Amino acid sequence: MSKPQSCVEIEPELIAAGIGEATDRESARVQSHVAGCRSCRDELARYRAVDAVVGTLRAEPAPAGDADAARQRLIARLADLKSRLVSYRVFPSPLGPILIAASEHGVALVEYLRGDARDSRLFRMGDVDTQEGGGALERLHGELLDYLAGRRTRLEWPLDLRFARSDFERAVLQATAAVPYGAVSSYTGIAGDVGKPSAVRAVAQALRHNPLPIVVPCHRIVGIGGELVGYAGNRLGLKEQLLAVEGVPTVSRAREARIARAAMYHYDPNPDRQYCLPTCGDIGKRPLGVVKLFARRELAETTGLSPCVDCRPDLHPLAS
Amino acid sequence: MGETVQLDEAGFETLVATHHGEIYRYLRRLAWRAAEADDLSQETFLRAYRARQRLTADANVRAWLFAIATNVFRNHVRSERRRRAAHETVRATRREMDLDGPEAEAVAGEVRTLTETTIRGLPLKQRLAFTLRKMHELDYEVIGESLDCSPESARAHVFQALRKIRTSLNGHALPLTEPTR
Repeated sequence: MSKPQSCVEIEPELIAAGIGEATDRESARVQSHVAGCRSCRDELARYRAVDAVVGTLRAEPAPAGDADAARQRLIARLADLKSRLVSYRVFPSPLGPILIAASEHGVALVEYLRGDARDSRLFRMGDVDTQEGGGALERLHGELLDYLAGRRTRLEWPLDLRFARSDFERAVLQATAAVPYGAVSSYTGIAGDVGKPSAVRAVAQALRHNPLPIVVPCHRIVGIGGELVGYAGNRLGLKEQLLAVEGVPTVSRAREARIARAAMYHYDPNPDRQYCLPTCGDIGKRPLGVVKLFARRELAETTGLSPCVDCRPDLHPLAS
Repeated sequence: MGETVQLDEAGFETLVATHHGEIYRYLRRLAWRAAEADDLSQETFLRAYRARQRLTADANVRAWLFAIATNVFRNHVRSERRRRAAHETVRATRREMDLDGPEAEAVAGEVRTLTETTIRGLPLKQRLAFTLRKMHELDYEVIGESLDCSPESARAHVFQALRKIRTSLNGHALPLTEPTR
């Protein structure tokens, strides 16, 4: 027994009316239909009843304890995710494409990319959740470009040293970060700074794995004879470029670049904290690292040093 | 599309505090077991956390979270179906449903139990549309976005669900509501 066509047609509106979703026009049509159709009138009543039953299900409170426990577990997992989450982006730079990655604690990785971002060491790190994007990285990129153009001398970024592989490496990175702009030290110098004067090779290894080049300025660290060794694989050109940005003079001889010590101010730690000309006594022959070098007088003086009263670098400044 | 706003840590904590309860209830209604709802609601908010930077300033956060939760549940059903295809039967799953203690008493009414069973047996899209509309009172527009369909089809899914519930209750005395004239 099939329903009359008018009953079939009114059915969706009847449901809408039954659950209280009908427009005024639909309600009026339903009312006029059910006024003359008993079976649809019953049908409407059934839908209203169904809606009431559904309403009791909706009103039923969820077991509160479960939801609370679930929320507590969620908060714990969120905290865990936040601590593992590292956002990254690849940016263009005068030194080629650079990947910058940061966690909630600070910048964790700066990497010169040779090819695809997928080959970044970021994806070979354990215990990390990566995510592309993040507005804060834009600002870092802007500051990095300013730095590379010489418009900025400091990158005051909070750092996250999670990719350092040991406490020793972390200490080396921290000591390196303390070498000021326009200054130069050596692997030997850093080994002394971290209290392990004989660990020169280990220092070089740690800096080879520097997860934060430019920011942790390992380009300011050279061999004891002033030779530019080991940078970003074998891209010594980058090291030279970064030093040039800071005004550190280098000379190239027989395919090897060195710091031009004769063109830099020297500081051999002394109680009066005085810096000298490279010609003061035998200071120009003392091992680099024990002696720190500065490209400019102002840079030495910003770190709290004063001119030597014997050689008077203030009266006889080096030609720049 | 509006400007994207960076939802900071405090902002996300507020979001969790405001919406977790409701999203959990939604998933609890859909899932067989409390533990499942627990996992699924965590998954929903962890995904939301990762995607939070794509949220626009004018976004309807509640609708956005329901869409993520719906997606998470649909993926879950899909993988469960695959996992189960080989040996387990749906019957076994039904027995695992926790209808214990006070909850069991609450649904003691025959009509309500029958209604719940019918809802659980609905095709997935109908069940989702019905739950979003009738349990959480979302707009058809929003439901359509969650289910990748038009508001009209979202409404059609809800109505189809109501027809089935109504049919399943044939022969049962229903509580009287306002009399029809």
